[in-house]
Amino acid sequence: MLEGKKKIFPVHFAPGKKLFHIVVTLSDAPGSLSSILDLVRTKVNLIGTTTYTRSDGTAVFSGFSEALSQSLTPKEVQKLIMSSKAAISAEVYEGKDGLLVDTFHTGFVVGDEEYILMRRDGLVRVFDRVSKMLGSGGDSLLFEEGMAMGMRNSEMMIKNVGAKRVRDQMGVLNRFLSAQGWGILEAKTGPEKDGFTVKVVDCFECSADDSARKGCNFMRGYLAGGARANFGKDYGSKETKCRLKGAEACEFQLTPS
Amino acid sequence: MRIWRILVAVVLQAAILISRGSIPAFLAVIPAASVALFLETRGDFESMASEMNRKGVKAHAPAAIVGKSGVRHEFAFAVIPETGKTKVVVDTELSVKEVDEMKVLKFYVKVFDVSPEKAILCVCPKLGARAATLAKEYGITVLEDDVPRKLIPMAEDAVNEFVGSGGS
Repeated sequence: MLEGKKKIFPVHFAPGKKLFHIVVTLSDAPGSLSSILDLVRTKVNLIGTTTYTRSDGTAVFSGFSEALSQSLTPKEVQKLIMSSKAAISAEVYEGKDGLLVDTFHTGFVVGDEEYILMRRDGLVRVFDRVSKMLGSGGDSLLFEEGMAMGMRNSEMMIKNVGAKRVRDQMGVLNRFLSAQGWGILEAKTGPEKDGFTVKVVDCFECSADDSARKGCNFMRGYLAGGARANFGKDYGSKETKCRLKGAEACEFQLTPS
Repeated sequence: MRIWRILVAVVLQAAILISRGSIPAFLAVIPAASVALFLETRGDFESMASEMNRKGVKAHAPAAIVGKSGVRHEFAFAVIPETGKTKVVVDTELSVKEVDEMKVLKFYVKVFDVSPEKAILCVCPKLGARAATLAKEYGITVLEDDVPRKLIPMAEDAVNEFVGSGGS
């Protein structure tokens, strides 16, 4: 299920290709980005790019690229970029032996929060090991950790955008988790009074077919913790459907307790 | 019933390995003996629960308890009064060598979720030094003996003492 997944480039491997990571600090003048793109595309094929603004008003363009000519050097690319008034500074890093790694960035920031990136399967295997080592206690530990994280994340969201907006825009905010690769969440009210049903398509926790776990206890806890922080009361959380039990998607019932 | 099937499977597997010459006969006895020991201990806890029930104490062996997290945990023995709040849980760890801290941790995370008034871990032969420190830190009562069957009366005494004293 790779449709809809955003491709990012902390690393790229293309044997036999000459690879460059181009990082340009752009002025805030309109059209800066397009003028840089017009320049570099004469020399390189851009594979993946990203741009973001900094607090000082400047913007950063970061792009992984393949050189159109094997004789092209990083200095030539840098000189070309700096010939534009749109560029404040430019750095060009060359890959080695078909391998290009982002050596410029040191992590991710969403809002004011730092994020890390890890393989989905890596985290799933951590959950598998916790469950295997600690048995049913491991499952409850995963629930507790999920609940603590769900509460904390929701509290942070409430702090950033306000409690009313979090409650009113829950459908949209669920897509925030989806965008991070947790699964595609769809929440609806019911069946019990003040309760919710949350369907999770492509739930990350049960994404490994060979997992020995029997359910998504972390996600179950996360949803309960989020509901508690958002609505100020405890919620019981039950997973009624799970891919690990043959369902197409996971489903959770959240009921005020 | 499931346990008996496991025992039969272990014995059959051992027989196959012996017939193939993969392992000496005396080594094959070890897993079969472990399962038999486990079954015997389990049976003893069932007798202990029956005895306590006759005395009016709501005891279960084995006991399946759903914790705060909604996860279902199994214990060798538990006392759960009518109120539904678990009073005592007992588990066993039988090993041929000293029992390590992971087993204590495994018991503790179940206990944490169920929140009984008292948690007893019966260990044969004994806990390792780090495991013992951990058990003490977690407030787990540890009963140790080289002979697994002796752990049952020890557990019974500890449970009776606690229940008789009115709990915590």
